[in-house]
Amino acid sequence: MHTPDNDKAPLFRSWTGWYLLLIIFLAILIFLFYLLTKKYA
Amino acid sequence: MSQVDWIVLIVTLLVIISYGLYKSRTTHNLDGYFLSNRSMPWGLILLSIMGTQASAITFLSAPGQAYTDGMRFVQYYFGIPLAMIVICIFFIPIFSRMKVYTAYEYLEQRFDGKTRTLTSMLFFLQRGLSTGISVFAPSIILSSLLHWNIYWTNLFMGGLLIIYTMTGGARAVAYTQQLQLIIIFTGMFLAGYMVVKMLPAGVSFSDALDVGGKLKRMNVITTGYDAKKGFDWSDQYNIWSGVIGGFFLALSYFGTDQSQVGRYLTGKSARDSRMGLLMNGIVKVPMQFFILLIGVLVFTFYQFNKAPLFFNDVQVQKIQQSAYKDSFAIVNTQYDGVQTLKKEALTRYLAVKNKGAETEVNVALDSMRSLQTQSEQLRNRVKGWLKSKIPGGDSNDTNYIFLRFVVDYLPAGLVGLLIAIIFLASWGSIAAAINSLASCTMIDLHRRFTKNKDSNETEYRLSKWYTMGWGIFCIIVAMFTYNIGNSLIEAVNILGSLFYGVILGVFLVAFLFKHIKSGTVVFWAAILAELLVLGVFILTKLDKPVLKMGFLWLNPIGVFGVIFFALILNRLLPQKKNPAVAAGF
Repeated sequence: MHTPDNDKAPLFRSWTGWYLLLIIFLAILIFLFYLLTKKYA
Repeated sequence: MSQVDWIVLIVTLLVIISYGLYKSRTTHNLDGYFLSNRSMPWGLILLSIMGTQASAITFLSAPGQAYTDGMRFVQYYFGIPLAMIVICIFFIPIFSRMKVYTAYEYLEQRFDGKTRTLTSMLFFLQRGLSTGISVFAPSIILSSLLHWNIYWTNLFMGGLLIIYTMTGGARAVAYTQQLQLIIIFTGMFLAGYMVVKMLPAGVSFSDALDVGGKLKRMNVITTGYDAKKGFDWSDQYNIWSGVIGGFFLALSYFGTDQSQVGRYLTGKSARDSRMGLLMNGIVKVPMQFFILLIGVLVFTFYQFNKAPLFFNDVQVQKIQQSAYKDSFAIVNTQYDGVQTLKKEALTRYLAVKNKGAETEVNVALDSMRSLQTQSEQLRNRVKGWLKSKIPGGDSNDTNYIFLRFVVDYLPAGLVGLLIAIIFLASWGSIAAAINSLASCTMIDLHRRFTKNKDSNETEYRLSKWYTMGWGIFCIIVAMFTYNIGNSLIEAVNILGSLFYGVILGVFLVAFLFKHIKSGTVVFWAAILAELLVLGVFILTKLDKPVLKMGFLWLNPIGVFGVIFFALILNRLLPQKKNPAVAAGF
């Protein structure tokens, strides 16, 4: 971890994009798990 | 184990040790030994973080957990993605700016030396003991199933990895973890494929999930809420304890436990450290889901094949040598009878379910569920004897289920590979733990309390000896664990939750409450919060518990306890300005 210049987020303009991606990913995962639970209940 | 299995096991272990030694070249200073000269790309950091968290018990216990309790254990991991985000926002920039070796170094600059010492001591206590148990837990399972000598198993489980960890430090740990995970995932995938392949003709993957679901094993999301009783605080795994309690546990573990902090500090930039953590947030939950799914498939497999009444043979032998010998024989016969009837009911259900005959489906389902309840009651009888009637009995066979299936049903070669996986998964987490314990010993103790600064070469040499010392300590803990008894495993599983919350609370006060500058305030707040956590824990463990609460909730209690006491004490105690805070740390 050398310099802050080396801290640019890949693919997104800022790290906030990655954070949102992670939250949306988790929400989708929980929703899919919920559907799976319902399907096999 | 067959000869082929032995060859696969020995070759796999030798390849890992050789690869670790091959990757051991590093500069002879602490940056090289503990942080790989901060040169690791994010992919390697990701695998190192995953390899550190995933111990042998992860791969043994999770399928067993799904077999006995269903998929809901996956909710335990829901807090991880959120914790990764918070660590990227608050922890990485500070650790990066200060170029620390250990997380606790920061606390001295932010507060004072005694706060740093307290947190590093809590780390030594928690990580040192739990790593000893990480050696013992898979050893006792292998030793019981394969009739290996427990002391030799402990020695191989905890000793061989010291060779490359001592020689190559963090770099060897990261590179071997990479190879270990590739082998582990290959082995687990093959095991999952084999379970599906061994299901009876006409029973598809989807049928297997359907059967698992009908017998309450596909309960991925649970709320812990009952319409009559309300929310059950003692329920260990539901979406709320997973998201909230799991978040605080993950935040403490990944943000303040040096065994994890030491992995992402090796990043060649803050960007690589962040990416490693964020990708871990993406892959961890699906990974655990698939490991648990193997457990559900094994459960369905055992609906069509004879399942042992109790999966730990050593405990069965104890019953057979006790006054419950005859009762066990009767229960065993009843269990076999129930299994035969259940298999017939299942076959009937699968035959009628696609024909749309609702009444017939419901009859078959009722029959299946009633027989499942009966078989669980019979298993509970055996567990009851082991828990309260048989001296030294261990009533929990969850960790034995998957490996018993492997040994009994998988073909030669694959058994050896899966046993090797147990070793590799253990080595990955133990190597990272002893590397981090050595780095804390060198940075947080040796350097602080040595008057004259040692040369780089001397520090490098001493660090190697500290690594070896911690390795030996963990093996000794493992040997004593065997003497104390199996129940300690359960106790140490919750050890993390007893300390992590408080350590995290100290860090959160440091990051979020800039007006709290006194180390004395935070030190005493941490002590009081720790007493509170221990007090709450004791109240849940009394013969007649005053409180009913899952252990994950101890994490938020520790965190908010430190914050609460720090805010109160900060008002009560006289203030002394800390120059480090003024400097912007």
